[in-house]
Amino acid sequence: MKKWLLFLLPLIAFAGLLVFLYQGLFSDPREHKSTLLEQSMPQFSLPDLMQPEQQYTQAVFKGQVTLLNVWGVWCITCAIELPYLTQLQQEGKHIVGLYYDQDIDPDFGIKTVSRVQQEVRQKLAQLGNPYAFNIFDVKRDLSLDLGVTGAPETFLIDQQGKIRLHHIGDLNPRVWRNKFEPVYQSIVGTTQ
Amino acid sequence: MKALIIAGLILLSTASALATEDKYQFDSEAQQDLFFELSKELRCPKCQNQNLADSDAMIAADLKRKVHDLVKQGQNKDQVIAYMKQRYGDFVYYQPPVNSMTIWLWLLPALFVVSGMLWLVLSRKSNKVEINLDNAQQKRVDELLERDE
Repeated sequence: MKKWLLFLLPLIAFAGLLVFLYQGLFSDPREHKSTLLEQSMPQFSLPDLMQPEQQYTQAVFKGQVTLLNVWGVWCITCAIELPYLTQLQQEGKHIVGLYYDQDIDPDFGIKTVSRVQQEVRQKLAQLGNPYAFNIFDVKRDLSLDLGVTGAPETFLIDQQGKIRLHHIGDLNPRVWRNKFEPVYQSIVGTTQ
Repeated sequence: MKALIIAGLILLSTASALATEDKYQFDSEAQQDLFFELSKELRCPKCQNQNLADSDAMIAADLKRKVHDLVKQGQNKDQVIAYMKQRYGDFVYYQPPVNSMTIWLWLLPALFVVSGMLWLVLSRKSNKVEINLDNAQQKRVDELLERDE
């Protein structure tokens, strides 16, 4: 009895350790559950990137399912996902950009807005423009409220303006199929 | 000449030190201490194992600025941490909360020590061997032991 136990206990402990470490191989340390899921969009009042006199608030997300894509021209991965986002837009998805610039540091302020607009126009002409419009997160306050850690990140927002998904990293066909599509279909399906 | 260079260098070093001090202004010493304490204990969400003070990532600079704002508004440590956790999750603070997932961080080491002690006690008991020798055998044992010495 005792010998049997001495053999079995370390074996069980070892198997447990194996399972734990094996899971670690496939876990992404950057992935942590967003605290904003199922919450309404935080309050904000920010200008349009191209027409700064136009202001947007959280109310702009009411009424239709939106993909909110956090991006910037300085972000290389964003440039890679732009063509795919454009494809999604052509399939009928409503995509809004949340634009922020690295060089506009509230403490210093290096770049002018017209310079940013010019860069954005150039980039979108080159790679495709999936955006219905771009919200300009001037001081990156909305990004902070949304728990954005960098770019690109994408949020799925439902008709009530509630955040349903928060994806860190690029949006590609695999991510769309595995992560976004099921939720997107379930949201769209409830209204049809 | 040498003295001039040294004086120049000293001036330069103090100037840069002043520049970093100037970046964040506080109403009181206590606020400044709280700011430095928080920037050490809050984790940069982008760059895994650096705190806000160490990190050069843009997000860390943004969070530091936010911490500065909140501290200047007179919020205390718990309020600032709650503000950050609400946005970036428990991840953003180095001290994990105790819940059903993280309780094992404290329980496992304790369990390990207890089970080790238990095993020691139990194995010592079972190692005791009963010895029954008659006089002749005892004598022979003593002889052998003595010869060995």
